[in-house]
Amino acid sequence: MVTVEIILFASLRDRYRVRKTVVECDGTTRNLIESAARRLGKSFLASVYDSDKDKVRDDLIFAINGRNIKDLKGEIELKNGDVVAIFPPVAGG
Amino acid sequence: MARGFMGKILRVDLTAKSVITEEVDEKIARKYLGGKGYGVYLLYQYIKEYAMRGISVKDMDPLGPENPLIFMTGPGTGVPGFPSSGRHHVMALKSPLTGSIGSGNSGGTWGATLKFAGFDGVIFEGASDVPVYLSIVDGKAQLRDAGDLWGKNTFDTTRILKKAVGRKRASVMCISTAGENLVPMAMIMNDDHRALGRAGVGAIMGSKGLKAVVVAGKEKVPYAKMDEFVPVSKRCLEAIENNPVSGEGLPAYGTAVLVNVINTAGSLPYKNWQTSVNPDAEKISGEALAEKYLVKKGSCWGCNIACGRITSVKSGPYQILATEGPEYESLWALGSATAVKDLAAITKANHYCDEFGIDPISVGSTIAAAMELNEKKCIPEDDLQGLDLTFGNAAAMVEAVWRIAHKTGFGKYMAAGSRKLCEFYGHPELSMSVKGLEMPAYDPRGIKGIGLNYATSNRGGCHVTGYTIAPEIVGIPEKLDPLATEGKAQWAKVFQDFTCVVNSTVNCLFTTFALGAGDFAELLSAVTGWDYTDAEILKIGERIYNLERVVMNRLGIDGKDDTLPPRLLNEPLPEGPAKGQVADLDKMLGEYYKLRGWVDGVPTAAKLKELEIEL
Ligand code: SF4
Repeated sequence: MVTVEIILFASLRDRYRVRKTVVECDGTTRNLIESAARRLGKSFLASVYDSDKDKVRDDLIFAINGRNIKDLKGEIELKNGDVVAIFPPVAGG
Repeated sequence: MARGFMGKILRVDLTAKSVITEEVDEKIARKYLGGKGYGVYLLYQYIKEYAMRGISVKDMDPLGPENPLIFMTGPGTGVPGFPSSGRHHVMALKSPLTGSIGSGNSGGTWGATLKFAGFDGVIFEGASDVPVYLSIVDGKAQLRDAGDLWGKNTFDTTRILKKAVGRKRASVMCISTAGENLVPMAMIMNDDHRALGRAGVGAIMGSKGLKAVVVAGKEKVPYAKMDEFVPVSKRCLEAIENNPVSGEGLPAYGTAVLVNVINTAGSLPYKNWQTSVNPDAEKISGEALAEKYLVKKGSCWGCNIACGRITSVKSGPYQILATEGPEYESLWALGSATAVKDLAAITKANHYCDEFGIDPISVGSTIAAAMELNEKKCIPEDDLQGLDLTFGNAAAMVEAVWRIAHKTGFGKYMAAGSRKLCEFYGHPELSMSVKGLEMPAYDPRGIKGIGLNYATSNRGGCHVTGYTIAPEIVGIPEKLDPLATEGKAQWAKVFQDFTCVVNSTVNCLFTTFALGAGDFAELLSAVTGWDYTDAEILKIGERIYNLERVVMNRLGIDGKDDTLPPRLLNEPLPEGPAKGQVADLDKMLGEYYKLRGWVDGVPTAAKLKELEIEL
């Protein structure tokens, strides 16, 4: 098991009333979100994870140590101390 | 005249105090649309005319009477149902800040209202010996004395002129303190808080003695094919509403939500770009702004996105009871670049920028450069006159904004912009600018495509010339790795060309999160009656970008200027997810020139012929 910090932003922060939470998981993104959902509420899973496609929802920015998951190559394996930042659909400026 | 246009442009000779009406040239409008495209075409005509009269545009004083100032709308502007189309565009031959072309786009209601008053654009030439303003009401244009208005700020000028016209829906565009003081970073404001922000167009207006242009009218913009327009408009408006960015992200949080996004990506420049991870980003973020100071959302004319933020700081030393913003760029420039973490101070400074009409990006960046010069002990104490320009000093930052607009104390030195300031104190490398225009809030060491866009942007360090942040960070229309260089040349080119279409249509760039060239082709075809294809639309954009480049070449700007500050090319980012990265411009620029058909930043004769540009 690994310990990962999750930081929520914008409407996700408002909705789950938490800025940061630290969770234990088996190193997969699915298990990370499931573990977080046990603390934040069931709906968190659907807010962040697309269970049909078995991956993080496409319209979010899901960054591991600042790198968007969509830009990371190969199998994702979270490590101890990783920081995951999750943004709902955001804007330009 | 084709539909979508009112068919008339005003030409105002401020020296002679004459106003004449000209017809819109249909052939030019077909080839260049309106807005920026038509404006660039007009600028090139000035170059030809000046060449015949023996006037060198290279040596021309940007604050002299020869510099034309052109305000244009486009065929989409003011058309009900044409997405986010209350906007207008400005073009000037030479910016007092950069020496390159002056260009800008603003929202609000002024653009649409100019068309309701009966005109597509206004060209100002010469300079008035006394302050004047132009009144355009119900098809009649008159120059009037502005002696009593000179010295008044944006909000007073707006209120007084609206009252003078006596129409609820009148719209005022004006300069304020900075424009009158010929500060090369001065903006032209409209509808109180909307701005033609960059490249010092406000100083050009000030040099002409032109205080304001007030517009009012009730005419309707003619459509060509109403039956075709209605379903296309409906589909496009729905696409905007259903898009996660334009339908959800922008309306909910405005642009300010990007502070945390870009900081997370390690690309939010901090302390004059010495690093790009801001430890205090949360304190100046969109989330913090929404929690502390947001009152309600605001919108420009005819926009279903409504990204504007009406805010209020209720108490404390930076109290400001009613204002708008700050937007993402202001939060960054006045906050992160200067390491100021007091959100109330940033909100107040941003309000000053609107009140005195001065560009928050250039001002914040120049203050940040002064702070680094001061940190390195390069500024004599006597010059500073007691201003403690230390990174993080919120009070000094707010004071500096005021001093720059009023050109007093050390503000006199900073008012010249970061390039001249840093040159003056012997450290030109500390100016974080391209072609003299201060760069906005994305570090290209962590987002490579935007660096190529900054370097090749015609008006200088500008993000909205080719907003590659959409694919590189937001993932629209597809996700690109911000740290990769492959393929970025093509993306930068397409975004730059497509943005020219938007700025010539004229509507809002934010619609392009949901709409593509095909949608613009359909909307414009239905409004004008000309049948555009998507390929033709992109070709128009490319034509505009190339003619603009030709104008710049005549001003002496070319490939030598298509570069980035040495810090971005040589100093790797010290921390964060992009640690160790530099901008890698050399890996992209050659491919970009090849795709453009340019040699050393100059379009080839073959390219100009292909684009049917006649010089
Ligand atoms: S998206 Fe924002 S800036 Fe653009 S037209 Fe709408 S309100 Fe104005």
